[in-house]
Amino acid sequence: MTETDAVRGAAGPRVRERPEQRRRGAPAPGGHAWLWALPPLAVLAVSFLHPLALVVRESFSGGTAAYRQVFGSEAFTDALVTTVALAVGATLGCVVLGFALALVVAFVPFPGSRSVARFIDVFLSFPSFLITLALLFLYGTVGMANGLWTGATGAQEGPFRFLTTPWGVLLAEVTYFTPFVMRPLLAAFAQLETAQLEVASSLGARPARIVRQVILPEAYPALMAGGALVLVLCLNEFAIVLFTGAKDVVTLPMLVYSKAILESDYVSACVVATVDVVLSVGLYGLYRSLTGRSSRRARAHA
Amino acid sequence: MLVHTRKGRWAVWAVFAVVFVPLFALPLLVIATASLSTNWSGALPSGPTGAHYASATRGESLAALSVSLQTALLASVLALAVGTWAALSAASLGRRGRRVLDALFMLPVAVPSVVVGLAVLVAYSRPPVLLNGTRWIVMLAHTVLVTAFAYQSVSAALTRLDPAYAQAAASLGARPWYVLWRVRLPLLLPSLTAAAGLCFALSMGELSATMMLYPPDWMPLPVQIFAATDRGSPFTGSALAVVLMAATSLVLFAVSRIRTKATYR
Amino acid sequence: MSEHAGTPEAGGIRFDQVTVAYDGTAVLEDFDLRVEAGEVMALLGPSGSGKTTALRAVAGFVRPARGRVWIGDRDVTDLPPHARDVGMVVQQYALFPHLRVADNVAFGLKARRTPRGQVAERVAEVLEMVGMGGYARRYPRELSGGQQQRVAIARALAVRPGVLLLDEPLSALDARLRSGMLAELDRLHRELPGVSVLYVTHDQVEALTLADRVAVMDRARLREVGTPRALYRAPRGSFTASFVGSANLLPVTRAGEGRVRFGDTELRVATPGPGTGGAAATLCVRPHRISLGDGGTNVLRGVARAVQWRGATYRVAVEVAGHEVVADVPESASTPAVGDRAAVSFAAEDGVLIDD
Repeated sequence: MTETDAVRGAAGPRVRERPEQRRRGAPAPGGHAWLWALPPLAVLAVSFLHPLALVVRESFSGGTAAYRQVFGSEAFTDALVTTVALAVGATLGCVVLGFALALVVAFVPFPGSRSVARFIDVFLSFPSFLITLALLFLYGTVGMANGLWTGATGAQEGPFRFLTTPWGVLLAEVTYFTPFVMRPLLAAFAQLETAQLEVASSLGARPARIVRQVILPEAYPALMAGGALVLVLCLNEFAIVLFTGAKDVVTLPMLVYSKAILESDYVSACVVATVDVVLSVGLYGLYRSLTGRSSRRARAHA
Repeated sequence: MLVHTRKGRWAVWAVFAVVFVPLFALPLLVIATASLSTNWSGALPSGPTGAHYASATRGESLAALSVSLQTALLASVLALAVGTWAALSAASLGRRGRRVLDALFMLPVAVPSVVVGLAVLVAYSRPPVLLNGTRWIVMLAHTVLVTAFAYQSVSAALTRLDPAYAQAAASLGARPWYVLWRVRLPLLLPSLTAAAGLCFALSMGELSATMMLYPPDWMPLPVQIFAATDRGSPFTGSALAVVLMAATSLVLFAVSRIRTKATYR
Repeated sequence: MSEHAGTPEAGGIRFDQVTVAYDGTAVLEDFDLRVEAGEVMALLGPSGSGKTTALRAVAGFVRPARGRVWIGDRDVTDLPPHARDVGMVVQQYALFPHLRVADNVAFGLKARRTPRGQVAERVAEVLEMVGMGGYARRYPRELSGGQQQRVAIARALAVRPGVLLLDEPLSALDARLRSGMLAELDRLHRELPGVSVLYVTHDQVEALTLADRVAVMDRARLREVGTPRALYRAPRGSFTASFVGSANLLPVTRAGEGRVRFGDTELRVATPGPGTGGAAATLCVRPHRISLGDGGTNVLRGVARAVQWRGATYRVAVEVAGHEVVADVPESASTPAVGDRAAVSFAAEDGVLIDD
């Protein structure tokens, strides 16, 4: 036997305790697990599941007539396209921007970079419409940017009028939801051993290659999970759109609101709501399966 | 760590500042500044005034703050109770049962808030339970929305909780109830307070579902902010927004203090 | 500081008055050291002695406040890490968890845009070299600690670096595995004659076994450099004496040529050492060079305070003139019991005088 074999033999197969086996929850008091789940389930059913079912039933109250009417209307198809386009665009923006900013905070730290992370947590606890409100002051028709322009050129009106267009909503959504991508990414980056980055660069890898081949694969599950969450939140976003006051930016949640509250057409509102729920829940299911996978993978790495 | 030359680092930081400051720091700053001004159509606002705050802290604005605080308090307490119960019972189910509970309790996150508002409105505008037009319908909707987050936080904390503690307690002869009350819940306390803070903040800023069902005599602060902005007085709106942010931050800060205490015990 | 007068060549590391400071506190001060091509240099010291900082200065992860670092005849002080051409192995291996063993090893080659065919060939070659040829398709988490260690070494060697930096590479392994890996590192180095190795450790056994020369470090400074044998036989400072092997350090006064006084006993020592009569000095005597009984040149009498069985030997502590003298002696009938009067002795050439 060579030395090599001797050492390898000594190493033996590594037996690692699998965390999943330890993480089984303790049995419920009394042992009837499902019985204990019933009270909260009943509360959920009465307060949410049953009402949701009523919305679906209401939408079919006249057979499929309401559906045919809604699907045939231009307002609905416009809203559907606007909703999806805005959500996809905002998500892409958030993912790119969030990844870049989180990279700097985590790997090119500067004095105060830790408070940036804390600032993001605070930012997340504020409602989304604050962003639109702030943008009104910055780029509104009588806002700062236009005021500067008219002051400088003597023109009657400033050039910035994108706030009431989809671009204004997009800007607000990217601003508000980017921290939702940054937070899971910063958590994932904190898990990454800095020694890996150092070894990679001592092996001759430049920063771009390290980001691509070491950081990105490790952070990929967190990035996907954050991105999927933002996609769903953008699809559902209402307050930002409401605050821009734009007549020509109508998303599905906005359509539900205007049908129900402004037009008192509850059947149509329920139809749009049902479609919206199917869209969002479908995507959310995708998100859950992705995060489920990423957390399993994280545990396998632990 | 990633960029090793001084010049490179400064370049990266400069780009970061150019993106981060206008996009994230500026909006909050702008709202705070606007709340103290009467006009903003240049580089800087003009007409410094404290009048917006004077009106924001009396009359219907003060009432709106009080409405928001009461709603958020009730909603987060209820959400914490239901969410924690559900998370604890889910943790004791098998893999499949837990998945079902996860899916059901997280559903309100996936469903647009406007639709949650519509659903609650549709369900409680008819017998046997008529809540439409009362404050309770707002509180119910808020509770539904934030319970999902309470459930999620507590579930996550439960998976991180080392079962060795509960097992040690059981091996010492403690019954399941005793283990729950004296071991698992105290260990979960930091996460529970964090979850409560999250629920409170979300409820304070909730607008989408609220717009669908608030009665005239129960108008929360976000609705008031929207109303002010919509009728063309965004400066009053931003003063109200600052009040909203301050109230939320204050409660979050208090909760985090409790949390630190609970952690060090 | 090095007495080796070598011409600059491809390998080799040179520290030239290197000082590294964090927030005004020097963690490495005026560090001067030369590692020849093909030499294994151990940096030995307790934690916080600056040894890892010195290694990271070569790799490029810390920037010296003053001084230059050379690899071969290149001044690398201002080069980014990826341009330094070093191989590095760290304590926790830092294998990329999302890459298979083969891809981990290929990482550096691909970063250098090595043609694909050559990459595969070289990966197979180095994996074979570390005895991991059969594990190319595995993920790091499927390997034992020792196997991960081998892959980390293979990854560092794959790019044929001129210098290999090893930062406590064995400290995450258990004792049995460690001695096996130590023998293996020794074999690997013999296969790679041109590579200079900088080996950071706090374990004197690793340093003495593997290194051609050892640099002893303490509190941000280099204390002594020498071959393991020289440091062990004739340490110049008491820090080195106690850190490299175990030592009795006895306070003595000089009493003339080749003589010192310990308590009221006069002892003969072979090393002259500097200093004049009456001056205070420290006498270093290795425990295994002391024997029981009064048969040697220098005899110390006292009371046995502790007797420990250590397998091959007994460790006997005898209190002499208020100081404890420790001796490692073979098992015998004359081993004293605790409390017995005992005499120990050592030869003149086993007493080394130290000045601090």
